[in-house]
Amino acid sequence: MIDFFTDPVLRAPTWGCMLLCFASSLVGVMIFLKKRSLLAETLSHAAYPGACLGVVLFSFLFPQGEHGAYWAVLGGAFISSLFALLLVHWLESTRVSSDAALCFVLALFFGVGIVVASGMQSSIPVWYQEVRMLLFGQAATMSDLHIWIYGGLALFLLSFLFLHFCPLQALLFDRDFSKSARIRVEWVEKAVFWFLVLSLVLGIRSVGVVLMSGMLVAPAVCARAFSDRLQTVFIIAGSVGAASGFLGNVFSFYAHIPTGPTIVLVGTAFALGGLLFAPRRGVCFRLFRVFQFRLRCMEENVLKAVWKKGTVSERPTIALRLALWQLKRGGWMDRDLQLTDDGRKKAALIIRLHRLWELYLTEELGFHAEKVHHTAEEMEHILTPDMEEKLTRLLENPKLDPHLQPIPEKEL
Amino acid sequence: MNDLLQMGVLSAVAMACGLIGPLLVLRRMTMLVNSLSHTILLGIVLAFLLTGSGFFQLETLLLGALIASLVTALSTGGLVRYFRLQEDASISLVFTAFFAFGIVLVTLFTRNVHLGIEAVMGNVDLLGISDVSLSLGLVGLNLVSVLLFYKQFQLTSFDGSFAKTLGVSCSVFQFFLLTLTSITCVGAFRAVGVILVLAFLVGPYLTARLFCHSLGWLLFWAPLIGVFSSCAGVGLARVLFDQCGLALSTGGIVATLLGAIYISAKCLASFNMAKCEKRLQS
Repeated sequence: MIDFFTDPVLRAPTWGCMLLCFASSLVGVMIFLKKRSLLAETLSHAAYPGACLGVVLFSFLFPQGEHGAYWAVLGGAFISSLFALLLVHWLESTRVSSDAALCFVLALFFGVGIVVASGMQSSIPVWYQEVRMLLFGQAATMSDLHIWIYGGLALFLLSFLFLHFCPLQALLFDRDFSKSARIRVEWVEKAVFWFLVLSLVLGIRSVGVVLMSGMLVAPAVCARAFSDRLQTVFIIAGSVGAASGFLGNVFSFYAHIPTGPTIVLVGTAFALGGLLFAPRRGVCFRLFRVFQFRLRCMEENVLKAVWKKGTVSERPTIALRLALWQLKRGGWMDRDLQLTDDGRKKAALIIRLHRLWELYLTEELGFHAEKVHHTAEEMEHILTPDMEEKLTRLLENPKLDPHLQPIPEKEL
Repeated sequence: MNDLLQMGVLSAVAMACGLIGPLLVLRRMTMLVNSLSHTILLGIVLAFLLTGSGFFQLETLLLGALIASLVTALSTGGLVRYFRLQEDASISLVFTAFFAFGIVLVTLFTRNVHLGIEAVMGNVDLLGISDVSLSLGLVGLNLVSVLLFYKQFQLTSFDGSFAKTLGVSCSVFQFFLLTLTSITCVGAFRAVGVILVLAFLVGPYLTARLFCHSLGWLLFWAPLIGVFSSCAGVGLARVLFDQCGLALSTGGIVATLLGAIYISAKCLASFNMAKCEKRLQS
């Protein structure tokens, strides 16, 4: 495993991908929170014509200098991405819906790119090699130079985050309020977009035009599922990004598949894992909470039924068996399915809540007595002792509910 | 002869796209279609593995289109509804993941990377007579669907809740539209590639929207603008090849033309608006 970091052939892709993924996931958090993730898709496609034109210009100016072509690609891509950003902003400011503007700019720039690329293919095929790899990326051809470039980008981003965290937070949290509070968010916003363009442009050579937006968004999705604090989100996203860069590299090395797609797949797996298993926001956790609540309702309904009828007469389903087992374990019922002392008190309390709520609905809110049963069925599981006390005081400790059933006394 | 063939196919594609493009933009589904244009790669690869016939056979393509639209719609909607992810993030997560998966499958099973490039760029020079009938079939399909369900499409595009009260299901028509789009993309991708289809879908609508104010006229003008720029694009490509010796991608030229037409029309319109406002003020 340590070979990946030291071996002269392997270390450049490994370090390069990790640093690039780290930097792009930091940018990704910002645009994810601004809800502009799709902008990354448009801008990365818009880099294509600029890169092609940059190489064309370079080939006319320096026909011999093939080593500098990389910088020509970068410069051209940066300029055309910025231009696309301006065009999107202009279209959005003139009542074109945001997604139509993004889609149109993407297709237009990519069309121009394809025109230029096809022209290069027929007239200067040697230079065409430089831009051909941009579509799908080639991480394997990274050299030590790229480690320094991506490291520089990461360092630059980190220092921006440390120095300007407060205005950035204000911008991401509530742009309009921070503007009205005279926090200078405009230039921070501009900086965020510039960082987006910069990281996209630097990244497309390694993972390709299409997959760059996946590398931006996936770590942010994962991190957001785990935390509500901006600092923590940045930290988690950065580590997830670096981890997916490393793991993607390792997998692609052993399975002989392209690096860019593998990194994106690993990142997506992280994101899905976060969405599924994160505490509090994850799907599994939410389902478990729903299940717990349903089970509690069922237990309380069983207690109520036994309190009223004295026995369990229904043939128990699996869910009911689980509820009964839980009730026995909690000491509310004994082995012959009779209520214990505690169970009787609890059942009486639930009935009391139910009837109090019915009375409240008819007396205070003016509902008809026939219509209140269903809401009371639900509210009896939700009402807290605090609310019960207030209801009792409000209704002056009533004895009968609207259906003239006795309300059980409060037992301690 | 070849030029006429290209003009015919591109015009037919433009017409098919112009018929459904306005409906897509009005529902703000265009970025979903962008996502679809990437997942189609996965759909075609999966269909290829399932049927075992050639990559560019008709049944593979159609099955692929169906798989792609199903996968895109279900997973994007599922992420938003059940995973509580914001919509833009779920779109970009879905299509990058599926596109990456598609590339991995292609390299694992075929060792043919050119499929990807071909699918993205398209190649007008490889078109044959069979493509004419295919693209005319697309026009027919879209025309019949839009004419048959015009009322339903109109209702669901403009007022979803009103449509619901009349018993027209929004999600059914949304999925129907997405499937139509997917078939159109697949039919068009030999001619223009999956990404340039987006220009055909959105560009004519945006231009027509500058002077049209009803859905009927939009559906009339958008295909017309598309057809015009296709013919002009093929002509321009021919002129450039004959005069300057540059063999440029015709699909790319048409997309560029569509963009240029819209942007110049837009500039003209906003210039006119500014003049009107000035006159009103004075």
